[in-house]
Amino acid sequence: MNNKMMSVLFASGNESKLNELTIHRTTASLPFGGRYRLIDFTLSNLVNSGVTRIGIITRSNYSSLMDHIRMGRDWDLNRKNSGIAVFPPFVLNTSRDVYKGKIEAIYTITDFINKSPEDYVIVANCNIAANIDFNDVLEKHIESGADITMLCHNGQLTSSRRVVITTNAKNRVTDIFFVESPSQNERLLSLNAYILKKDKLVAYVENAYARGHVDFEKDVVFAEASLGAVNVYEVPGYASIIDDVKMYYTESMKLLNFDTREQLFGADKKIYTKVKDSIPTKYGKGSYVKNSLIADGCTIDGTVENSILFRNVRIKAGAVVRDSIIMEDGEIMEDSTLAYAITDKSVTIKENRQISGFSTYPIVIVKNKVV
Amino acid sequence: MLTKKECVAMLLAGGQGTRLGALTQRVAKPAVPFGGKYRIIDFTLSNTINSGIDTIGVLTQYQPFELNQYIGNGQPWDLDRLNGGAFVLPPYQKAKSGEWYKGTANAIFQNIDFVDRYKAEYVLILSGDHIYRMDYSKMLNYHKTKNADCTIAVLDVPLETASRFGIMNTLNDNAIYEFEEKPKHPKSTKASMGIYIFTWEKLRKYLLSDEADKSSHNDFGKNIIPAMLSAKEKLYAYEFEGYWKDVGTISSLWEANMDMLDNSSGLNMSDKDWKIYARNTAEPPQFVGSEAVISNSIVTEGCNVNGVVTNSIIFTGVDIDEGAIVSDSIVMPNAKISAGAVIKHAIVGWGSKIGKNACVGETQTAAINGEWKIAVVGPDVSVDDKTVIKAGVMVE
Repeated sequence: MNNKMMSVLFASGNESKLNELTIHRTTASLPFGGRYRLIDFTLSNLVNSGVTRIGIITRSNYSSLMDHIRMGRDWDLNRKNSGIAVFPPFVLNTSRDVYKGKIEAIYTITDFINKSPEDYVIVANCNIAANIDFNDVLEKHIESGADITMLCHNGQLTSSRRVVITTNAKNRVTDIFFVESPSQNERLLSLNAYILKKDKLVAYVENAYARGHVDFEKDVVFAEASLGAVNVYEVPGYASIIDDVKMYYTESMKLLNFDTREQLFGADKKIYTKVKDSIPTKYGKGSYVKNSLIADGCTIDGTVENSILFRNVRIKAGAVVRDSIIMEDGEIMEDSTLAYAITDKSVTIKENRQISGFSTYPIVIVKNKVV
Repeated sequence: MLTKKECVAMLLAGGQGTRLGALTQRVAKPAVPFGGKYRIIDFTLSNTINSGIDTIGVLTQYQPFELNQYIGNGQPWDLDRLNGGAFVLPPYQKAKSGEWYKGTANAIFQNIDFVDRYKAEYVLILSGDHIYRMDYSKMLNYHKTKNADCTIAVLDVPLETASRFGIMNTLNDNAIYEFEEKPKHPKSTKASMGIYIFTWEKLRKYLLSDEADKSSHNDFGKNIIPAMLSAKEKLYAYEFEGYWKDVGTISSLWEANMDMLDNSSGLNMSDKDWKIYARNTAEPPQFVGSEAVISNSIVTEGCNVNGVVTNSIIFTGVDIDEGAIVSDSIVMPNAKISAGAVIKHAIVGWGSKIGKNACVGETQTAAINGEWKIAVVGPDVSVDDKTVIKAGVMVE
């Protein structure tokens, strides 16, 4: 026993609900928070917790992810031993098809898992925005004596499929089920991230694969929960799954709140990302900026309110951007007005355009488009 | 066996920079923060790699820890190479001797082995305290075309300021026939930028004879160049056009930072083909609050701006509280400006805290005799609430 952890991450998942934002990329490489990609949060959490052996299973559109991660140097993961291993979609000789679900996907990398010297494994999706101390998770997991510990947070239900959990006083899962209808009430929701012993995972997966099961949540976690073997770890502070456009917008806007930023970018547990060597942001003489999160490399001569600007965005004089998210290399030209909009990378809004969505239905402008 | 390198760069980063006072008490001048997210040395390191020179020795001596740590394996500048890369070269104990770097030439003399190991034909001598963007490969081509023994980069300066520089007097073909250090009556306006390319074989010879001369200051400007001139070696001036600034004084450091705000200054940082690289700090994006007013300023990642910022350079991780006013100033990394504090024509050192309603510096309309009276709060200083620090005063 060495009480060390490795990790298996899934780069894809729920791309359909993020529609326009994931045409060109995996959920993992979705830009978030001004200078990050979603996967940065999970990778940084792992590295900050001393986890350095990380396998990333991809499914489709993974070139943006490869370009982002490269050798993993920006997360200090370019190690001689351990580091990042990216698994392109693996086609089993027997099925002649890309893997169907997590069970099949993990089954294809059983060798990688078995060969790793760590005892524990963290299995997670790459769509979590949170600052998680996995050492604390492991400690609580061992204390609880459970076979699986699942990470949870309190959040609202949206139209995306969520796993709702009820627990007893000892944090043991007593009921677990899928919900796919929005609700205002806060519930204990799964972050679809688990910690368990490595040999347990391999046994679960081999067993489930042999029976033709595909869904890790339903066929492994739910089944184990019904046996009383699953514990819950509630992530302290801000945590969220980003898996549809509305969620993406509301969670992004929460970053304008000081406490959220403190919890997510916590002082010594930093979030790392690919270094781009942008110059600092330049505010012109006529700039008017309020309540906004702004990355480096921007040039602002117009008005920006309640918005998030990614790296190298240019806001020209007379342009007004409100309640919007402008991704990298965006350009809003003179006298245009944007409200409740999400513009993907390298979008140009020409002079005198008026574009507006609504707070509950932000308009998305696809990558590289010129309006 | 090491791969042969045509040209090896040697960066002199050992100077104390006494005129920067509190800012260089604990760090060498090249490690002083500049322009929001850079250190002074980033410009020279980035120029070197952008010019296609991938082997660089950084000669450190004064307060080297910060600089050593900053350069590390050279990765941020793409200088972590299998062959070559960045090397920090402090003075070291040798079999027969062991001493500090006595002068610029002695620093290179003590590292003759380093250059020899790469079988370099040419050596580029740089200093780590200038702000500029320059393609050294063009200068190297010039050196080769002229079949020179030494090429010195020069900048055309206004005649009235020429007496502050080392001046190269040249013939029509830019051959140098005389070098005058800070001449009272300058004959030319070609000021040395402290950038030299030597044919290594020649320089090696002069370094050895200079070291043998006990009366020598072991300095390039004072000894090596004059010795080469009197021996009628081929020395040429290479004319550089563009932005270049020595940031040796508080006033010039402040001016060079302010040049980043002025599009006509020539300090164009946005050229994607000539990026200036820096070690990254992994800070979240900057947050601009509802009460903030920012105009004509540069702000960097990790900042929380809730006050009023005009004509200023705000470095990484700075907090400016509501009601604070910062104008015409430089606020270095992780400094905190409390509510009601007023910062005018000042430099606030890294990690410093300015108390509530404190006043640092005074508004100035023009430089007097070329010098601005900039108030300086040194690094990691805590300025109490309501303290007043006058123009030109330095607090440590």
